[in-house]
Amino acid sequence: MATTTATLSLSSDMLSSPISISASSTLMKAGVTEGLELIEMGRGTIAETDGSKTAEFGLPTALGADKAAKLFLVNKATDPTYYIDIDLHDTNIGRLYAGDWMFIPWGMNDTASELVIEAEPSGATCPYEFVLLQEPQTLEAHS
Amino acid sequence: MATTASISISSDITESVPFSVNASMTMYQAGTTLDLEETTGLAQRTFSGNTTQVTLIDVSATAVTAAAGGHKVYIRNTGTDKTKGFKVFLADATDDIEEIGTLYGQDWMLMPWLATDANEDIMVQPSSSEKMTIEYAVFHQ
Repeated sequence: MATTTATLSLSSDMLSSPISISASSTLMKAGVTEGLELIEMGRGTIAETDGSKTAEFGLPTALGADKAAKLFLVNKATDPTYYIDIDLHDTNIGRLYAGDWMFIPWGMNDTASELVIEAEPSGATCPYEFVLLQEPQTLEAHS
Repeated sequence: MATTASISISSDITESVPFSVNASMTMYQAGTTLDLEETTGLAQRTFSGNTTQVTLIDVSATAVTAAAGGHKVYIRNTGTDKTKGFKVFLADATDDIEEIGTLYGQDWMLMPWLATDANEDIMVQPSSSEKMTIEYAVFHQ
Protein backbone atom coordinates (compact mmCIF):
# COMPACT_ATOMS: atom_id res chain seq x y z
CA MET A 1 0.00 0.00 0.00
CA ALA A 2 1.21 3.44 -0.81
CA THR A 3 1.68 5.57 2.27
CA THR A 4 1.20 9.31 2.18
CA THR A 5 1.52 11.27 5.38
CA ALA A 6 0.64 14.91 6.04
CA THR A 7 1.99 16.47 9.21
CA LEU A 8 1.18 19.86 10.70
CA SER A 9 3.10 21.78 13.33
CA LEU A 10 1.38 24.96 14.45
CA SER A 11 2.41 27.23 17.25
CA SER A 12 1.12 30.53 18.54
CA ASP A 13 2.16 32.70 21.43
CA MET A 14 -0.89 34.97 21.28
CA LEU A 15 -2.18 33.62 24.57
CA SER A 16 -0.50 33.49 27.96
CA SER A 17 -0.59 29.71 27.50
CA PRO A 18 0.91 29.18 24.06
CA ILE A 19 -0.97 27.07 21.54
CA SER A 20 0.93 24.16 20.10
CA ILE A 21 -0.74 21.81 17.65
CA SER A 22 0.83 18.72 16.17
CA ALA A 23 -1.29 16.69 13.80
CA SER A 24 -0.39 13.89 11.46
CA SER A 25 -2.56 11.84 9.19
CA THR A 26 -1.98 8.99 6.79
CA LEU A 27 -4.08 9.87 3.78
CA MET A 28 -6.47 7.12 2.78
CA LYS A 29 -9.12 6.47 0.19
CA ALA A 30 -12.61 7.34 1.34
CA GLY A 31 -13.81 5.24 4.23
CA VAL A 32 -11.12 2.56 3.99
CA THR A 33 -7.54 1.98 5.08
CA GLU A 34 -6.02 1.89 1.63
CA GLY A 35 -3.66 4.70 0.70
CA LEU A 36 -4.19 7.32 -1.98
CA GLU A 37 -2.52 6.39 -5.26
CA LEU A 38 -2.39 9.43 -7.49
CA ILE A 39 -0.30 12.60 -7.28
CA GLU A 40 -0.67 15.63 -9.51
CA MET A 41 1.67 18.52 -8.88
CA GLY A 42 2.94 21.59 -10.57
CA ARG A 43 3.34 25.32 -10.60
CA GLY A 44 1.68 28.22 -12.31
CA THR A 45 1.35 31.97 -12.29
CA ILE A 46 -1.80 34.02 -12.24
CA ALA A 47 -1.96 37.76 -12.77
CA GLU A 48 -4.69 40.15 -11.76
CA THR A 49 -5.26 40.86 -15.44
CA ASP A 50 -6.12 37.19 -16.00
CA GLY A 51 -9.35 37.64 -14.05
CA SER A 52 -11.07 34.71 -12.38
CA LYS A 53 -9.93 31.29 -13.62
CA THR A 54 -10.67 27.68 -12.82
CA ALA A 55 -7.24 26.49 -11.73
CA GLU A 56 -5.58 23.65 -13.62
CA PHE A 57 -5.75 21.68 -10.37
CA GLY A 58 -9.28 22.92 -9.74
CA LEU A 59 -11.24 20.94 -12.30
CA PRO A 60 -13.21 18.18 -10.66
CA THR A 61 -12.27 14.94 -12.32
CA ALA A 62 -14.18 11.78 -12.99
CA LEU A 63 -13.31 10.76 -9.46
CA GLY A 64 -16.98 10.86 -8.51
CA ALA A 65 -18.85 11.64 -5.34
CA ASP A 66 -17.62 10.77 -1.87
CA LYS A 67 -14.06 9.98 -2.88
CA ALA A 68 -11.00 11.22 -1.02
CA ALA A 69 -8.66 13.90 -2.28
CA LYS A 70 -6.37 16.40 -0.59
CA LEU A 71 -5.08 19.66 -2.00
CA PHE A 72 -1.99 21.63 -0.98
CA LEU A 73 -1.66 25.12 -2.47
CA VAL A 74 0.91 27.81 -1.72
CA ASN A 75 1.15 31.40 -2.92
CA LYS A 76 4.81 31.97 -3.80
CA ALA A 77 4.50 35.74 -4.24
CA THR A 78 6.80 37.84 -2.08
CA ASP A 79 4.91 41.13 -2.02
CA PRO A 80 2.80 40.89 1.16
CA THR A 81 -0.06 42.79 -0.45
CA TYR A 82 -0.49 40.22 -3.25
CA TYR A 83 -3.02 37.48 -2.66
CA ILE A 84 -4.84 34.67 -4.42
CA ASP A 85 -8.58 34.76 -3.91
CA ILE A 86 -9.93 31.22 -3.79
CA ASP A 87 -13.51 30.30 -4.56
CA LEU A 88 -15.17 26.93 -4.21
CA HIS A 89 -17.50 27.29 -7.19
CA ASP A 90 -19.30 30.54 -6.27
CA THR A 91 -18.43 30.73 -2.57
CA ASN A 92 -15.28 32.47 -1.45
CA ILE A 93 -13.11 30.34 0.81
CA GLY A 94 -10.55 32.99 1.56
CA ARG A 95 -7.31 34.62 0.51
CA LEU A 96 -3.83 33.18 0.37
CA TYR A 97 -1.46 36.09 0.90
CA ALA A 98 2.18 35.92 -0.14
CA GLY A 99 3.79 32.91 1.49
CA ASP A 100 0.52 31.47 2.76
CA TRP A 101 -0.40 27.85 2.11
CA MET A 102 -3.49 25.77 2.63
CA PHE A 103 -4.19 22.06 2.92
CA ILE A 104 -7.77 20.87 2.56
CA PRO A 105 -9.78 17.78 1.81
CA TRP A 106 -11.50 18.25 -1.53
CA GLY A 107 -14.81 16.67 -2.45
CA MET A 108 -14.39 16.90 -6.24
CA ASN A 109 -17.96 15.66 -6.55
CA ASP A 110 -19.00 17.58 -9.64
CA THR A 111 -18.57 20.88 -11.45
CA ALA A 112 -19.93 22.69 -8.40
CA SER A 113 -16.74 21.56 -6.68
CA GLU A 114 -14.49 23.54 -9.01
CA LEU A 115 -11.76 25.64 -7.44
CA VAL A 116 -11.45 29.12 -8.88
CA ILE A 117 -8.49 31.42 -8.34
CA GLU A 118 -7.90 35.10 -8.93
CA ALA A 119 -4.89 37.30 -8.21
CA GLU A 120 -5.48 40.58 -6.40
CA PRO A 121 -5.11 43.55 -6.02
CA SER A 122 -4.62 45.51 -9.24
CA GLY A 123 -1.21 44.79 -10.72
CA ALA A 124 -0.61 41.64 -8.71
CA THR A 125 1.10 38.59 -10.14
CA CYS A 126 1.18 35.46 -7.99
CA PRO A 127 3.27 32.38 -8.71
CA TYR A 128 1.84 29.32 -7.00
CA GLU A 129 2.57 25.65 -6.46
CA PHE A 130 0.12 22.85 -5.86
CA VAL A 131 -0.05 19.17 -5.01
CA LEU A 132 -3.24 17.18 -5.49
CA LEU A 133 -3.37 13.74 -3.89
CA GLN A 134 -6.31 11.52 -4.74
CA GLU A 135 -7.75 8.11 -5.36
CA PRO A 136 -7.05 6.42 -8.68
CA GLN A 137 -9.42 7.29 -11.46
CA THR A 138 -11.27 4.76 -13.52
CA LEU A 139 -9.37 3.99 -16.68
CA GLU A 140 -11.20 5.03 -19.82
CA ALA A 141 -11.69 2.90 -22.90
CA HIS A 142 -9.34 3.93 -25.69
CA SER A 143 -10.69 5.92 -28.59
CA MET B 1 2.90 37.35 18.92
CA ALA B 2 3.79 35.11 16.04
CA THR B 3 1.64 32.27 14.82
CA THR B 4 3.44 29.89 12.52
CA ALA B 5 2.41 26.74 10.72
CA SER B 6 4.53 24.16 8.95
CA ILE B 7 3.40 21.31 6.75
CA SER B 8 5.32 18.24 5.71
CA ILE B 9 3.91 15.79 3.18
CA SER B 10 5.76 12.64 2.25
CA SER B 11 4.65 9.82 0.02
CA ASP B 12 5.84 6.63 -1.58
CA ILE B 13 3.03 6.57 -4.13
CA THR B 14 5.76 6.61 -6.74
CA GLU B 15 8.45 4.37 -5.30
CA SER B 16 10.99 5.32 -7.93
CA VAL B 17 10.44 9.05 -7.52
CA PRO B 18 10.74 10.18 -3.91
CA PHE B 19 8.14 12.78 -3.04
CA SER B 20 8.05 15.28 -0.22
CA VAL B 21 6.76 18.77 0.38
CA ASN B 22 7.73 21.11 3.16
CA ALA B 23 6.35 24.60 3.68
CA SER B 24 6.08 27.07 6.51
CA MET B 25 4.18 30.27 6.98
CA THR B 26 3.76 33.01 9.50
CA MET B 27 0.16 34.16 9.81
CA TYR B 28 -0.03 37.86 9.09
CA GLN B 29 -2.80 40.41 8.99
CA ALA B 30 -4.06 40.94 5.46
CA GLY B 31 -1.58 42.64 3.16
CA THR B 32 0.97 43.32 5.87
CA THR B 33 3.74 41.66 7.81
CA LEU B 34 1.97 42.33 11.11
CA ASP B 35 1.17 39.23 13.10
CA LEU B 36 -2.39 38.07 13.63
CA GLU B 37 -3.42 39.04 17.13
CA GLU B 38 -6.60 37.14 17.95
CA THR B 39 -7.69 33.54 18.23
CA THR B 40 -10.60 31.48 19.44
CA GLY B 41 -8.09 29.17 21.04
CA LEU B 42 -8.25 25.46 20.47
CA ALA B 43 -11.80 24.16 20.87
CA GLN B 44 -13.46 20.79 20.67
CA ARG B 45 -16.95 19.50 19.89
CA THR B 46 -18.28 16.00 20.23
CA PHE B 47 -21.24 14.75 18.24
CA SER B 48 -23.39 11.77 19.04
CA GLY B 49 -26.74 10.57 17.79
CA ASN B 50 -27.02 12.69 14.69
CA THR B 51 -25.72 12.85 11.16
CA THR B 52 -27.11 16.23 10.19
CA GLN B 53 -25.21 19.36 9.21
CA VAL B 54 -24.42 21.65 12.10
CA THR B 55 -22.63 24.97 12.27
CA LEU B 56 -19.18 24.53 13.72
CA ILE B 57 -17.83 28.06 13.29
CA ASP B 58 -20.37 30.85 13.04
CA VAL B 59 -19.10 34.03 11.42
CA SER B 60 -21.39 36.19 13.56
CA ALA B 61 -20.27 34.49 16.76
CA THR B 62 -16.59 34.85 16.01
CA ALA B 63 -15.07 38.26 16.54
CA VAL B 64 -13.46 38.37 13.13
CA THR B 65 -13.10 41.53 11.11
CA ALA B 66 -15.34 40.67 8.17
CA ALA B 67 -13.55 40.15 4.88
CA ALA B 68 -10.27 41.36 6.34
CA GLY B 69 -8.69 38.39 4.62
CA GLY B 70 -6.01 37.23 7.01
CA HIS B 71 -8.04 34.67 8.94
CA LYS B 72 -7.06 31.00 9.11
CA VAL B 73 -9.07 27.99 10.23
CA TYR B 74 -7.70 24.71 11.55
CA ILE B 75 -9.97 21.67 11.85
CA ARG B 76 -9.12 18.09 12.74
CA ASN B 77 -11.12 14.90 13.11
CA THR B 78 -9.57 13.56 16.29
CA GLY B 79 -11.01 10.08 15.84
CA THR B 80 -8.84 7.25 14.61
CA ASP B 81 -11.47 5.44 12.54
CA LYS B 82 -10.73 5.94 8.85
CA THR B 83 -14.21 4.71 7.95
CA LYS B 84 -15.90 7.65 9.68
CA GLY B 85 -15.57 11.26 8.63
CA PHE B 86 -16.84 14.77 8.93
CA LYS B 87 -17.95 16.46 5.74
CA VAL B 88 -16.95 20.11 5.92
CA PHE B 89 -19.05 22.80 4.25
CA LEU B 90 -19.10 26.53 3.74
CA ALA B 91 -22.36 28.45 4.30
CA ASP B 92 -25.40 28.43 6.50
CA ALA B 93 -28.40 26.17 6.29
CA THR B 94 -30.59 28.54 4.32
CA ASP B 95 -28.19 29.56 1.60
CA ASP B 96 -26.15 27.82 -1.01
CA ILE B 97 -23.96 25.22 0.66
CA GLU B 98 -20.59 24.24 -0.80
CA GLU B 99 -18.95 21.01 0.29
CA ILE B 100 -15.22 21.38 0.78
CA GLY B 101 -14.42 17.76 1.51
CA THR B 102 -14.33 15.04 4.15
CA LEU B 103 -11.99 14.71 7.12
CA TYR B 104 -11.60 11.04 8.00
CA GLY B 105 -10.04 9.85 11.24
CA GLN B 106 -6.94 11.92 12.10
CA ASP B 107 -7.32 14.05 8.96
CA TRP B 108 -6.74 17.76 9.41
CA MET B 109 -7.07 20.90 7.35
CA LEU B 110 -5.76 24.45 7.48
CA MET B 111 -7.28 27.04 5.18
CA PRO B 112 -7.79 30.75 4.80
CA TRP B 113 -11.24 32.03 5.74
CA LEU B 114 -12.80 35.20 4.39
CA ALA B 115 -15.63 35.21 6.95
CA THR B 116 -17.63 37.90 5.20
CA ASP B 117 -21.07 36.81 6.34
CA ALA B 118 -23.22 33.79 7.17
CA ASN B 119 -22.58 32.45 3.67
CA GLU B 120 -19.16 31.55 4.99
CA ASP B 121 -20.14 29.86 8.21
CA ILE B 122 -18.27 26.59 8.48
CA MET B 123 -20.50 23.57 8.91
CA VAL B 124 -19.75 19.92 9.53
CA GLN B 125 -21.71 16.72 9.12
CA PRO B 126 -20.64 13.53 10.91
CA SER B 127 -20.99 10.36 8.86
CA SER B 128 -22.01 8.28 11.83
CA SER B 129 -24.41 8.69 14.73
CA GLU B 130 -21.76 7.16 16.95
CA LYS B 131 -19.63 9.47 19.08
CA MET B 132 -17.31 11.55 16.92
CA THR B 133 -15.09 14.45 17.96
CA ILE B 134 -13.62 17.36 16.08
CA GLU B 135 -11.19 20.04 17.22
CA TYR B 136 -10.77 23.45 15.66
CA ALA B 137 -9.25 26.87 16.03
CA VAL B 138 -9.55 30.20 14.27
CA PHE B 139 -6.64 32.62 14.05
CA HIS B 140 -7.90 36.01 12.98
CA GLN B 141 -7.55 39.75 12.82
